[in-house]
Amino acid sequence: MDNVQPKPLPPHELPELNQIGKPLRRVDALGKAVGATDYAADFSLPNMLHAKVFRSPVPSARILKLDVSKARALPGVACVMTGEDVKDAKLNTDLPGQTGREARTGSDAPVLASETVRYVGEPIALIAAETLAIAEQALDLIDLELEELPAVFDPQEAMKPGAPILFEPDNIVARYKVRKGDLEAGMAEADQIIENTFKMPFVEHAYLEPDGGVAWVDEQGVINIRVCTQVIEHFRSIARALDVPQNRIRVRGTMVGGGFGSKEDITVEIFLAFLARETGRPVKLVYTREEAFAATSKRHPFSITHRTGVKKDGRITAAQISLVANSGAYPYLTPYVLLYATATATGPYKIDNVHVDSVAAATNQTFTSAFRGFGAAQAAVAYEQQMDEIAKTLGLDPLSVRQANYLATGDATATGQVVKSAAWLEETATRALHALDERTASTPTRRIGRGFASYFQSYGRIMWFHDTSRAWVSVEQDGTAVIRCGVPDIGAGQSNSLCQIAAEVLGIPLHRVTVYATDSAVTPLAGTSTATRQLYMSGNAVCSAANTIAARLKRRAAEQIGVSEDAIVLENTRAHDVANPDSFVELAELAKLCAAEGIELSHLSQFNAPFVEGLDENGQGEIWPDFTFGAHAVEVAVDTETGQIELLKSAACHDVGRAINRAAVHGQIAGGSHQGLGYALMEDFSFRDGFIQTPSFAEYMIPTTEDLPVTRVIILESGTGIGPFGAKGIGEPSLTPAAPAVANAVADALGVRIPDLPLTPERVLAAIDRAREEGLLT
Amino acid sequence: MSHAFSPVSEGDAVTLPAFDLLQPESLRKALEFLDENRNARPLAGGTCLLVDLRKRTTEAEILLDLTRVRDLRGIRIEEDELVIGAATTIAEVLADSLVEEHAGVLHDACRTFAAPLVRNRATLGGNLVHASPAADTAPPLLVLDASIELQAIGRRRVVPITNFFTGPCESTRREDEILTSVRIPIFNGVRHAYTKLGQRKADAISVVSVACLAIPGEGPRIALGAVAPRPTRAWDAEEILKGVELTPETAKLAAKVASEEARPIDDLRGSAAYRRREVEVLVRRCLRQLIDDQGGDVDGS
Amino acid sequence: MEARVVSLRVNGRDHEVLCEPNATLLDVLRDLGYTDVKSGCEQGDCGACAVFLDNRAVNSCLVLAWQADGCEIVTNRGLGTMDVPHVIQAAFADSGGVQCGFCTSGMVISTKALLDRVPDPTEEQIREALSGNLCRCTGYGQIVGAVRLAAARLQGRASAVISSLREEGQEQDPEDPVLALDDEEEGGEEA
Repeated sequence: MDNVQPKPLPPHELPELNQIGKPLRRVDALGKAVGATDYAADFSLPNMLHAKVFRSPVPSARILKLDVSKARALPGVACVMTGEDVKDAKLNTDLPGQTGREARTGSDAPVLASETVRYVGEPIALIAAETLAIAEQALDLIDLELEELPAVFDPQEAMKPGAPILFEPDNIVARYKVRKGDLEAGMAEADQIIENTFKMPFVEHAYLEPDGGVAWVDEQGVINIRVCTQVIEHFRSIARALDVPQNRIRVRGTMVGGGFGSKEDITVEIFLAFLARETGRPVKLVYTREEAFAATSKRHPFSITHRTGVKKDGRITAAQISLVANSGAYPYLTPYVLLYATATATGPYKIDNVHVDSVAAATNQTFTSAFRGFGAAQAAVAYEQQMDEIAKTLGLDPLSVRQANYLATGDATATGQVVKSAAWLEETATRALHALDERTASTPTRRIGRGFASYFQSYGRIMWFHDTSRAWVSVEQDGTAVIRCGVPDIGAGQSNSLCQIAAEVLGIPLHRVTVYATDSAVTPLAGTSTATRQLYMSGNAVCSAANTIAARLKRRAAEQIGVSEDAIVLENTRAHDVANPDSFVELAELAKLCAAEGIELSHLSQFNAPFVEGLDENGQGEIWPDFTFGAHAVEVAVDTETGQIELLKSAACHDVGRAINRAAVHGQIAGGSHQGLGYALMEDFSFRDGFIQTPSFAEYMIPTTEDLPVTRVIILESGTGIGPFGAKGIGEPSLTPAAPAVANAVADALGVRIPDLPLTPERVLAAIDRAREEGLLT
Repeated sequence: MSHAFSPVSEGDAVTLPAFDLLQPESLRKALEFLDENRNARPLAGGTCLLVDLRKRTTEAEILLDLTRVRDLRGIRIEEDELVIGAATTIAEVLADSLVEEHAGVLHDACRTFAAPLVRNRATLGGNLVHASPAADTAPPLLVLDASIELQAIGRRRVVPITNFFTGPCESTRREDEILTSVRIPIFNGVRHAYTKLGQRKADAISVVSVACLAIPGEGPRIALGAVAPRPTRAWDAEEILKGVELTPETAKLAAKVASEEARPIDDLRGSAAYRRREVEVLVRRCLRQLIDDQGGDVDGS
Repeated sequence: MEARVVSLRVNGRDHEVLCEPNATLLDVLRDLGYTDVKSGCEQGDCGACAVFLDNRAVNSCLVLAWQADGCEIVTNRGLGTMDVPHVIQAAFADSGGVQCGFCTSGMVISTKALLDRVPDPTEEQIREALSGNLCRCTGYGQIVGAVRLAAARLQGRASAVISSLREEGQEQDPEDPVLALDDEEEGGEEA
């Protein structure tokens, strides 16, 4: 893995564009930089109440008595609500978004627990009071009597007969299988069979902005909820919980201070809606950091076992994989996370004979749900380590084992989905490794190792969700443009990309586009900011709307100038003859002409992802619209006496199809890498008997500025994505290869593998001790 | 350690509990307040105390704010001692050239203390009064043989730091006393080494910390943090090195003895076994640094 | 104990605030409308609440309002506005160092604290100065780039501040020697 030369790129076309691809200052950047942007907690209304949530102190119990009378009687308390008061309200934890499909039965959680509690932090009652201090005092006045019940914490234990049941009938929240080819024949054909198990912990999203918001009832009786969220379409579930029509809930999403999947679930919205309705006053609820940790979703722990048949030359003849995931106390998006993990379990490799079996079971811990990578990240932790183990067993270079198996465009995945776009796996892996430069020299107590990981990650949602997105674009009479789009901006530049696309198509500078976003009542619904879908879906919708308007402008300009329509380009705020730029009409003038003549310069476009109906009983079929491919490589130094791992070098190379805003793409790759590196090195959201051991930033370690080197970012653009201008998606993909790259580098340094994340110093030393005992290490 | 939820008495609050806040402008006034209110808790930077109050892991009816008492700040040389006012912030200690020159081991520890924003509020006195077994400034002050000045109305005493810590988060400070300054003897030709192991490179509580001092004509001094109920000198290890040359071999032996005399516990940040093992590694490395800094072996006789 | 009126000068403006002994400076500032000062953890771990208190950068969640009586406080908003941003704020906006933006106000404060003392910091010094400010979006690389860009601009080594969104030619100056993307390699050249 030293002195790797980048594989030359295949011929590909990338037309030069005016604004697309440039690292322009984002439209939201300055407001945030000067502190002008108001987030969910930065908002107040007159007469506003402050809310607190009363939560379970234990992981498993029956509620014997809940007496809130003293809390209600405290002066300054406006109301206290319990499960009694919201009796039939269920929190639909399923399928956020716009598709209108039926929720899976059993996927609901109670809005407020009234019979049993299943995890520490589960909501039991709501308080609204004149001040936060009074609301907190009222928490102390609630009398809760519990009968503690047996609890279960490990998914394998949860599936055994006799385990306490959280999810009827057997705690199994989801299970899948994939069957392709003939596993036994494939194994028989193999020269070696290699088996390993890899484990990953709960992980906390650790966004800087705690969940929260403000709700009020407006003059139409509509409940308004101003909240940081990745999904404004939750208004439908909120309406259902409150038993009101869907058009009586308005979700106003704010600029989100980080979500990473945790704000994909409903967090404070239903609580706020109930309290606002009950009191008739505005109510504010902002989680403490401890609540954000304990009572919002976590990344699924997984245990993944690979049994792989391989030929001497590294070709994989058969793959048998089993995955067990921890669903926590309620299902939430577990079935989908499990599906992603199952369908990507083999990695980006062409394998003819595959069996994958997966299961997720409920336990008495914080519920697990979406987190950047969404199961495919966990799958990569396992498959890329397995690939390196295969290399080691066969005595082959890790890169050559990949090369023997990489998917190519036109090949099919384990579920039989054909890869249609560029699959620049070798191109990205070689560039990432090349960027590590000269290997640092080892010393006896400071052992250097290198590792990399390739991956594939979908962008766009599961196609049987029938995903759609809408955007409205208009050109004003002075030639500026407006976009209205429901897109939630969670910090990756979701709304800026739309502006940059419109600016390109309409030929105006970025700063002449204003976007109004994220209001379920007022902006066309654009779906969730999840699943690496916004650029693809809303970007295409904006592109389409802008192109429709551009066509009208060009037609009118052509008349004005006296050339044919296809001779007109929109550029530099003008419509001009491509052959003669001095023959032009200013866009502003053109807009006024069109307005006067009734030519509509606004357009609402809907973009539909391809629709499919689902996998067959063997897990065969298409799932996602497309994939992003890439790699991450690292060089580490392991201190063999302290067990500490120092990350010396980090390089990431991804084919993003087309970069819309280069600085934003760079930022996503650097940021996703950082989360993946933290996942490998130090992040462990741990429980003991259901009690959280890492309740705040003091205990839960995320990397600081001093913990990681700069990740060198190499952006490739094949132009083959199905997003605007050939873009793919990068939000989740950027995280997926980072953790396995580190695990592989550490194994390279030590000669033995630590199969569990995170790679703590104690685990490193234990591995070193083992290796010394076995004579593998001096 | 576990985190339970609501009620607030279990720690689920944003607001601090109610307390009275006394804000004297002079040391005399501060001592009077404390004399009249023996249960008042001294508050300086608040970077530990306010956090513990918010989490309800400690209580206070009255806080005595010392941040306005000028006499408690400042760094100066008095005769043969470097005197640091107790309410001097860690940032001020870190930036001070007298400290860097005469108490380099303390300077090094302050570099690793929390993070810059916290250092601008946390104080040396506060770190010592909080008396965490992992207190970052303790091992350096132990090897420097610092003394702690404590004052009450009509009373002043100076306690060797080796007697100051009495248990986890317990010190010899009496309830009517304020820790007013830290006094460090000035040596010449001293070499030092300091190292801290944490769960990450910045803003981390010590898992193990080690401070060493080599004074001409004496055996090296070694202090350990976060591996015993209180910060402590590694007396047995020091004993091994008395009167012998400090060489890589004797350093190794001393390190082994130090790890045996440590009394670490298992906690969230590390197991006792790991900590004990790392005491050996870090003491050995610090002693090696002392050797290397001199460019050779250290004569301890 | 009774609430008391404390005097705070915030971003050059005087305020008289009635508050309890247990009120933190963070809470009081936010109640006064300085919502650029963010609450991220309430215990000094994340740096999102950083402000200048008599010229020292501190976590405002760990300062009692009464302790700040008579003091001068500068928050991020006090450094610049949309129309006239501070060089540091503009550098953050220009370099990709702002993603979700929640950590940004605290980062700007810590950056100013650094550049006021060390006008030309090394990467190591920058990372140390910001080690108490957590960011979950950027991986810190473009933030370090922002600080370097700000330092270069303050010293006149890089092009003038792009002071307003309303200015034409919003692209970064290609002559700018400290463009924050110097960690990136061109990977798409070969055909």
